[in-house]
Amino acid sequence: MRRFEYHRAETLEHASRLLVELGDDSFLFAGGTDLLVEIRERLRRVRNVIDIKSILGLSDITYDEARGLTFGALVTVGRLERLPLVCQRYPNLRAAFASLGSIQVRNRATVVGNICRASPSADTIPPLIADGAFVHIYSRTNMRVVPLAEFFTGPGKSVLAKGEIVTGITVPPALDNSGKAYLKHGRRKAMELSTVGVAVSLTMEDGLCNDIRIALGAVGATVLRAPEAEAMLRGTALDAATIKTAANKAMEECTPISNVRASADYRRDMVGVLTGRAIKQALEAFA
Amino acid sequence: MKRIVELTINGEARDMAVETCCSLLDALRDDVGLTGTKKGCDVGDCGACTVLVDGEPVNACLMLAVEAQGRSIETVEGLQPSVDTLHPLQDAFMRHGASQCGFCTPGILMMAKKLLADNPRPTDEDIRFGLSGNICRCTGYTKIFDAIKSAAREMEAARS
Amino acid sequence: MNINTPIEEREFKIVGKSVRRDDVLEKVTGEAEYTGDVKLAGMLYGKTKRATVAHARIKSIDVSKALAYPGVKAVLTHENVPRVLHYGSPHPRSASCTKDQYILDKKVRFWGEGVAAVAAISEEIADEALDLIEVEYEALPAVFEPEDAALPGAPLIHEVGPGGNLVLDPVRVNRGNVEAGFAEADFVLEGTFSGGRPHPAYMEPNVCIADWDGSNKLTFWTSTQSSFMVRGILAEVLGLPLTKVRVLVDHMGGGFGAKQDCFQHEFLCALLAKETRRPVKMEFTRHETFIAGRARHPCRIWLKQGFKNDGTLVARDMKLVYDSGAYGSHGPGVTIVGTTAATSLYRCENVRLEGRCLYTNTPINGAFRGYGVVQSYYALDIQMDEAAERLGMDPAELKLKNVVREGDIAPSGHPILGHGLEICLQHGIDVLDWKALRNRDRTPDPSQPHIRIGWGVGCEMHGSSAYPGIKEQGNATVKVNEDGTVTLLTGAAGLGTGAHTALAQIVAEELGVRFEDIGTIHGDTDVVPWDIGAFASHTTYLVGTAAKMAATKVRASVLERAAMKLQVKPDEIDLSEGKIFVKAEPGRFMTVAEAMGPSRGIPAANIVANGTYEPTKSYSFAAHFTEVHVDTETGIVEVKRVIPVHDIGRVIHPIAAQGQIEGGIQQGIGHTLTEDYVIDKKTGRSLNAGLVDYKMPLSMDMPDIETIILEAAPDPGGPWGAKGVGEDPIIAIGPAIANAIHDAIGVRFHHYPITPEDILKALREKGA
Repeated sequence: MRRFEYHRAETLEHASRLLVELGDDSFLFAGGTDLLVEIRERLRRVRNVIDIKSILGLSDITYDEARGLTFGALVTVGRLERLPLVCQRYPNLRAAFASLGSIQVRNRATVVGNICRASPSADTIPPLIADGAFVHIYSRTNMRVVPLAEFFTGPGKSVLAKGEIVTGITVPPALDNSGKAYLKHGRRKAMELSTVGVAVSLTMEDGLCNDIRIALGAVGATVLRAPEAEAMLRGTALDAATIKTAANKAMEECTPISNVRASADYRRDMVGVLTGRAIKQALEAFA
Repeated sequence: MKRIVELTINGEARDMAVETCCSLLDALRDDVGLTGTKKGCDVGDCGACTVLVDGEPVNACLMLAVEAQGRSIETVEGLQPSVDTLHPLQDAFMRHGASQCGFCTPGILMMAKKLLADNPRPTDEDIRFGLSGNICRCTGYTKIFDAIKSAAREMEAARS
Repeated sequence: MNINTPIEEREFKIVGKSVRRDDVLEKVTGEAEYTGDVKLAGMLYGKTKRATVAHARIKSIDVSKALAYPGVKAVLTHENVPRVLHYGSPHPRSASCTKDQYILDKKVRFWGEGVAAVAAISEEIADEALDLIEVEYEALPAVFEPEDAALPGAPLIHEVGPGGNLVLDPVRVNRGNVEAGFAEADFVLEGTFSGGRPHPAYMEPNVCIADWDGSNKLTFWTSTQSSFMVRGILAEVLGLPLTKVRVLVDHMGGGFGAKQDCFQHEFLCALLAKETRRPVKMEFTRHETFIAGRARHPCRIWLKQGFKNDGTLVARDMKLVYDSGAYGSHGPGVTIVGTTAATSLYRCENVRLEGRCLYTNTPINGAFRGYGVVQSYYALDIQMDEAAERLGMDPAELKLKNVVREGDIAPSGHPILGHGLEICLQHGIDVLDWKALRNRDRTPDPSQPHIRIGWGVGCEMHGSSAYPGIKEQGNATVKVNEDGTVTLLTGAAGLGTGAHTALAQIVAEELGVRFEDIGTIHGDTDVVPWDIGAFASHTTYLVGTAAKMAATKVRASVLERAAMKLQVKPDEIDLSEGKIFVKAEPGRFMTVAEAMGPSRGIPAANIVANGTYEPTKSYSFAAHFTEVHVDTETGIVEVKRVIPVHDIGRVIHPIAAQGQIEGGIQQGIGHTLTEDYVIDKKTGRSLNAGLVDYKMPLSMDMPDIETIILEAAPDPGGPWGAKGVGEDPIIAIGPAIANAIHDAIGVRFHHYPITPEDILKALREKGA
């Protein structure tokens, strides 16, 4: 491993100041499950690591029927995965959390960290986007709230400015008439980086689809929505034929690449298969 | 730069002087001399370095030693209840042939300990899920599943 | 030993029982010392600078900045290491290796090859210093596929060898008359097959520690399957007598064949220690375990066979091409074994085989469980399945008709004494009710019409020794101590298979003492008898027989000494369960301890004997039956059940034998479906040298395995008929899965791994 300097930030202000003062090769450290790997595999040049785990107030989880689920930047994937509320109300999040890395990794990794890394294949991003989550961003001059769907600007890139820190995420409340699913495609059943991940969150009213959001992971520079497919589904009864047509449309809307994990064509095919299956799984909530 | 970290390892309070960029795994192996915990990949992919931190399994390679300040660490060396007794998992691993080359064994034992603590009567699926972050390349896992089920039964019997 | 000696029938007290393995207590407590756990005072850490180009000449290499970096103690390049051409696979006097390596060369032959090495006071400093070494390359055209390497005018990777990019002259085997065979055939099947580059991916990354003392003696800890071979080649290359090289290895975190080469970093580590006169440790990262380790040889196979309408196989014509990677390593051995293996499995009198092995600018391929045979039997078994389809016959039935049997000659050229394949196959057919399975509905779950199920069977056989390529010698020393305990000294390595336990069981059984009375000493080349290395599934068969021979000798001596003390003739007494008793008067006895210990006027004694065994070869057999589920929308194949039926002769330790089979199946499932170490065909760079993208089946992916071991066909060359088991299980599972996929979806695959993309593509082509 390459050597680096370790700093422990006591407050958000302190962490933000260190980020600016220590320069470009400085990174926040919460779970560290990506950062330490990147240092060891020499994927990222890191001179300074700023540990934010001593900062108070970043470990909270709250839920209310009006605002929804809010959790702080230090909340681990494992803690959320095991939370009864998540298991019962957010099966999509639960599926994504339980498929990220291993149990050991999830006991360290944070959801906010997974998001800030901005990998197009990150498991937590598609269901959070489909649910309409937003992120809370701290800077020393102001706080801002950004919809997660607008957070990413490219692989590994986000709207965060130097010195800005994501402090938490809010997921809108899980409504009684909602159905949610996240399906991950990999070659193994665990320890996988997703080849394709599809999240669907929908609401039904009087047997018709009131709203639907489809988010596609690992098939573009960032996690993508499938707006045209969604439009084809809204207002319909989500019958098999419509689902099939919309799934085909989602295949057109993605922009996958080929790499060692899968070819672009195969990824596109899987967007079709998984979109159909995810919609059907989301509908099981009403069965 | 070195820092002093005060922590508990296998029930024993101690302190260690570590480089701030040193992983908990390297600190345990090189500084404390507890080499039972293995380094199979150093990037969190294999689970050979699984230790319990305040009871929760983590990859020691993905935690900095300085983060262990004030924490309680359990490693395979602390599994035996006393010098001449084995933990039921250790005994079951021996009887069922769950350890071949043995390199994954310490990590799997710690994972299994946590699994049985949370879930004394695990199903086959629970065990498979619980071990999904621990690579074993020798056994095909069959005998590991057998051993964990057997240990669970014995621990259950010992409690009742 | 005369191989015609009948196998002794007896009631076993220790053999055949799953005694507590003597290595596992330390493994479950964390006390077991692996090479990487050794820490010496003043130890330095070595790291290898690796090439970032696939084929090049080194124009210049500047180490001045690295040498000046604080904490760096030594830097080695091709300019300051001995230039000795040496073997990669260190089997002396054998046909299985090629002399084509230098410790460091002026030329780079694959991306990732070591070009320099650094020793520093910490691993981090050594790692950082690597970046300060400046290498200027003159790039050469590179080839990444054996087909391209074989083309006239292809860039030459080596200056040595038979010419072109051949690693060895083509291996040719001819039996009978192939043309006449084809003339007799009612139909002919012809196909091409190919295999990827599975990696053994043992859990313990390669690691070694070198210590060079004041008397110029090198002590060398290394995770190796063949410590004496490492000793030999280190001594040869470094110019030392064998008395000045001591190799130590205690526990090993797996090897699966690949840890029997002498690796570049091992020479570098020894030289860094010599240069600095301090102990030096070199430990691979997981990434290096891929790029600088050894994988299975990728292959291309062309197979044409002629059949009669009754299913009789009348002609086999086969061409095999193995990709050696950048160095010979085990290329010659793999080519010879893999090619000659194709004379057998399914009997055929007219056979023409040609095996080639080519250098490419890719990482080195070496020995790996199933040595060359995984590749050739994949083709043979799948084509037999195709013949059954063509004939409208059940594949298991056609295989049963054609499998090798009594009287057939082995690939090694000698008659096989214990033929178990027929019985394995028949046993599986019977216990599974195979015919009923094959008639099952392929889509049993109406709610999941996209899931199709299939059953397949694959067959294999594998030799327990490297004969005749290597005429092996097994050695063991057995000492009976004055308290009646027994010390076994063996050079066989403990990869994790439980081999030392099996050897101790054999000694205890033969000698007539308790298993607990045996202590085993291994892993120190200065102490234990010479050993060829733990490979070729031979430890129980080869070293086990040597140990039994040594035990027979000490038993006779113990009886002689006891007879003197009991004042009877040696043939009047017997030894069992640690007691020596007068046969005619069972009440009159003494313990081994009493026989060996002092008594009035007779001092205590120690009895020592050696056993040396030079075997030919036995063959073990297996038929694997498997159920797969194919998702026809995603192409994902799940292996749901495996029923492996093995004949391994006499079973010494049932649980350890089952463990070998189950682990081999895990690796074989991986090779067939998910595992492939991928090299970029444009640059030669590794694309998945890590455990996330190199996809081994994990706990949730493993099927239920219902292992069946038959002691159907013991071979008199092994202890009480014992044969090998290590490699067999990885061979049959591959074709079994491919055949099951065909049963499920009606598509034939001739390659591995069979990826989800391949499945979808094939289904589309079939639908079109």
